[in-house]
Amino acid sequence: MPSPGTNGKSPLFYRLVLPLLVPALILVVWQVLSDKGFFRTSILPSPLVIAQTLQSLLASGELLGHLRTSLVRVFEGFAVGAILGTVLGTLMGLSRFWDRALSLVTGLLRPIPTIAWIPVLILWMGIDEGSKVTVIAVGSFWPVFMNVLQGVKGTDPKYLEVARVLEKNRWVVLSQVILPSALPSLFTGLRVGLGIAWASVVGAELIAASSGIGYMIMYAREVSQPDVMLVGVVTIGLTGLLMDFLVVQLEKRLFRWNQAAGEGSK
Amino acid sequence: MRDSRGSLHIQGVEKNFALPQGDLRVLAGIDLEVAAGEFIVLVGKSGCGKSTLLRLIGGLETPSRGEIRLGDKGIEGPGLERGMVFQEPRLFPWMTAWENIAFGLRAGTEAKEGEATVGKYLSLVGLSGFEGAYPHQISGGMQQRAALARALVSRPEVLLLDEPFGALDALTRIQMQLEILRIWKESKGTVILVTHDIDEAVFLGDRIAVMSDRPGTFRDILPVKLPRPRDRSSAPFVKIRRKIYNEFFHSTRKEG
Ligand SMILES: Nc1ncnc2c1ncn2[C@@H]1O[C@H](COP(=O)(O)OP(=O)(O)OP(=O)(O)O)[C@@H](O)[C@H]1O
Ligand SMILES: [Mg+2]
Repeated sequence: MPSPGTNGKSPLFYRLVLPLLVPALILVVWQVLSDKGFFRTSILPSPLVIAQTLQSLLASGELLGHLRTSLVRVFEGFAVGAILGTVLGTLMGLSRFWDRALSLVTGLLRPIPTIAWIPVLILWMGIDEGSKVTVIAVGSFWPVFMNVLQGVKGTDPKYLEVARVLEKNRWVVLSQVILPSALPSLFTGLRVGLGIAWASVVGAELIAASSGIGYMIMYAREVSQPDVMLVGVVTIGLTGLLMDFLVVQLEKRLFRWNQAAGEGSK
Repeated sequence: MRDSRGSLHIQGVEKNFALPQGDLRVLAGIDLEVAAGEFIVLVGKSGCGKSTLLRLIGGLETPSRGEIRLGDKGIEGPGLERGMVFQEPRLFPWMTAWENIAFGLRAGTEAKEGEATVGKYLSLVGLSGFEGAYPHQISGGMQQRAALARALVSRPEVLLLDEPFGALDALTRIQMQLEILRIWKESKGTVILVTHDIDEAVFLGDRIAVMSDRPGTFRDILPVKLPRPRDRSSAPFVKIRRKIYNEFFHSTRKEG
């Protein structure tokens, strides 16, 4: 169904067909090369084999079990990290005192990669849930914190003047001017933070766990099941994609005022 | 409330801005007595300090020298008794037109009363039907009118208007001038309005303060003693217009 303005291609083509075309092509080439014996199956199984493994792992409930464990960890850690990041970012964004008082500490801790915390946290907290959730919390804290801080500080002084002229109290200024204007930044932070949280849960589970997607991958490597490994890897990617999609949808719902605008005061 | 409330006393006001390359003197020797209920228009070329003077009266800046009093009280910071419409609409993009206007209500306004007031001014500025629209969904002129309504809902004694009709087409502009006059008469408040438009100045003002280039001073303060509504094509109107026009062409050849 040709529609004007898109070179005779329907919007569906751009929204669904085109993005799926490239992965489909890769899969076909991969399958063909596997059939011709280009790859050693002990290293890279063919897409069909992986699909069969996926099916059986789904049927046995094993995959979903691991996925659930990982997701629970992510949401626990993400909730903690995001709340702390929002609170601390707002506090430092609003108060010069706290900004100065904490800037060196946060500046010092921020460049430390999340994985570097894993051994430290295992030493301090053992290898049970606590350390993994903490790793995720640390990973998701930084993007949320940085974006909220920047968003709060970046409130257009022109808007603050409007509130001053209208004699609004601090609470109204915070809740109706500063926070709404920082909300797009907060969402950017949440989106990035959730991505990092998901990436770091796998990292944490690769090192020490007895369940979860990361554990599943690690265990499959030990027992030489490359197909299970790849199912795990693909699951991580798909879940991450889905989470990102959901956050974007939520963002669109919440920011009717920020769409179409494009420009505006960030 | 036509007593000393709403009267403005500006005495020897000077304003310098500290810049890296030294002080920039923007206003010098500004004296003006504004009676309560008076309509003053400021005209002057771009950059002569009109907005700065309004911000001083609004309490967003403090004078480097001299003083500004409202009634018998010195001005210390902004206040609801001085309503301000900035040169840009400054609507909050996350609020609808209605919410933006309601933001101007005094704290503690009863919900019902507030709703009635917002509704009244919304239709007064011609935005009925757009109460649910976000700023990016309405035109620049409509945004400016919403900003005007936001400044009006708290019924300030002094209204400071910085080129409020700058973004409007000629026809809507004339309509808004009539609205402003109506609002002004009804509220009996004081109005200080900045404009580039000489015609608008003569049409609206009780007095017109003509400002010189930086540092801004009052080159002349012209009373306009014509009854309202004023006829833009009447001989006295045209005469005052020409007089202001000449003020600008005497010292500088070109006017932007
Ligand atoms: N906060 C500030 N810091 C430094 N300089 C400033 C500041 N505010 C205004 N100025 C300077 O003061 C001068 C007068 O500015 P102002 O905005 O009052 O002009 P204006 O008469 O309103 O001009 P326009 O008609 O273009 O709006 C300008 O040269 C401007 O650069
Ligand atoms: Mg100006």
